[in-house]
Amino acid sequence: MEQVAFFVGAIGALGAAFAVVIVKNPFYSVLALVIHLVFLAGIFLLLMAQFLAAALIVVYAGAVMVLYVFVAAYVGGIEEPKWDSSPELRIVGPILAVALFIAISIAVLGSGLSALGTPGPDDVPAGFGTPEAVGHLMMEDFLIAFEAASLLLLVAAVAAIVLAGRRREDRKKQLTGGEGA
Amino acid sequence: MPDLVLGLPLADTNFVDATWIMIVKSLVIFIVILSLVPLLLLGERKLLGRFQQRYGPNRVGPYGLGQPLADVGKLLSKQAFRPKGAVPFLYEIAPALTIISAVLTLAILPFGDVQGDVGFYGIDVPIGILYFFAFSSIAFYGLLLGGWASGSKYSFLGAMRSAAQLISYEIAMGLSLLGVVMMAGSLSLVDIVKAQGEVWYVVPQIVGFLIFLVGGFAETNRPPFDLPEADAELVAGYGTEYGGMRFGSFMFAEYMEMLIVSGIASTMFLGGWMGPGPPGLDPVWMLLKMIVLTIFFIWIRATLPRFRYDQLMSFGWKILLPLATLNVLVTAVLVVVT
Repeated sequence: MEQVAFFVGAIGALGAAFAVVIVKNPFYSVLALVIHLVFLAGIFLLLMAQFLAAALIVVYAGAVMVLYVFVAAYVGGIEEPKWDSSPELRIVGPILAVALFIAISIAVLGSGLSALGTPGPDDVPAGFGTPEAVGHLMMEDFLIAFEAASLLLLVAAVAAIVLAGRRREDRKKQLTGGEGA
Repeated sequence: MPDLVLGLPLADTNFVDATWIMIVKSLVIFIVILSLVPLLLLGERKLLGRFQQRYGPNRVGPYGLGQPLADVGKLLSKQAFRPKGAVPFLYEIAPALTIISAVLTLAILPFGDVQGDVGFYGIDVPIGILYFFAFSSIAFYGLLLGGWASGSKYSFLGAMRSAAQLISYEIAMGLSLLGVVMMAGSLSLVDIVKAQGEVWYVVPQIVGFLIFLVGGFAETNRPPFDLPEADAELVAGYGTEYGGMRFGSFMFAEYMEMLIVSGIASTMFLGGWMGPGPPGLDPVWMLLKMIVLTIFFIWIRATLPRFRYDQLMSFGWKILLPLATLNVLVTAVLVVVT
């Protein structure tokens, strides 16, 4: 039963992830990403990381992807014409992709996958993956990293508002012929 | 040791009963709520009639009680129609998405504590209220896909409005519940109800309650926040191109979500199943509170005119969000001090 659930989740997540890249219509691409996130949340549930699963759905599927869908529905929806890349890019691109793949493979093989051959922990501690457990980790063990990340996000949000505001002022100046505003 | 649901180590839940009890429970919850929805439709039309000094439906059966049956029969017997410009698969799956996510959310509403071997709720998950938010964000894709896949401008505009509205109000709604969560010290809805033994959270968390209600109106697209389906400007918004039971599913999901938001509000702020009388009466109290809140929804619909779109946005971001944040801050300080 567990294996079945894992393979359903894994195949779904991988298939949707491929669809994100392959599909030509950006709107479908975004939808595929949402489906990928839902399957990924399922795999998190199998790993007893329920808080992570819920957060993934609420934050990514519920907020971030909504914005993506928003933009794709407004701007996209039409199939993109095939982009003519320059000959240099056609050579450099695959090389970079292979390099990235090798780098990630080394990182994965060196860390996460080392537990693959072993049966894994028999007993997950009670309360593992609950909001309480994650909260203790974030607020006690990794407080500084957590706060730094939130500060970074705040700076990014303020910067976005400032940039958008400046553009609006420019436009106003153009409309009024440089006067006022 | 984590509990196993159907042989799967799918996260741990606080109390799990035997599988057959789970199945019976799911059926009971599903049937009760599902039969409440048509009654609610009738009740709304009746009440709206009274609010507007007219009779409301009274032709079908005694007091018009047969009206919901007639409505559903009509919707079911209509041709399943798809406009030419619609996107085939997405157009059909959108109403299903909304209704499935609404039904799934029913699982966490607690109608009573564990009595004997049966917990009077679908499941009691430690992530509790996050479950509600997770499925309400999936329900949104139903609206959005419906609007986008219809291939009509009205539908599309309705869907876009619902997207913007959902993001804006979900944040304030989440923050408004944070005060309750901090006071109860748990996300589990069952624990939150139990923590309200002495005083219902509506008293210390009155600000959170009001913000949650306003956010609930916006989340369920109910007037005065029904901009996504504003019939004066958008015909019927995301549902414009839908007919028959597909339209019915959208309607059904909307009313079910109204019941769910009422249920969450009663659980978080109004003491959930708490009430005088023996424990056997618990589900009755919970249902009663849900229905009273739902009638409040209808009352508001009859009373307030629709917001303008910019008013909706600035109200959400400039008033509700700061207010909710302040509420969280004050609650946090008070919880730490006391």
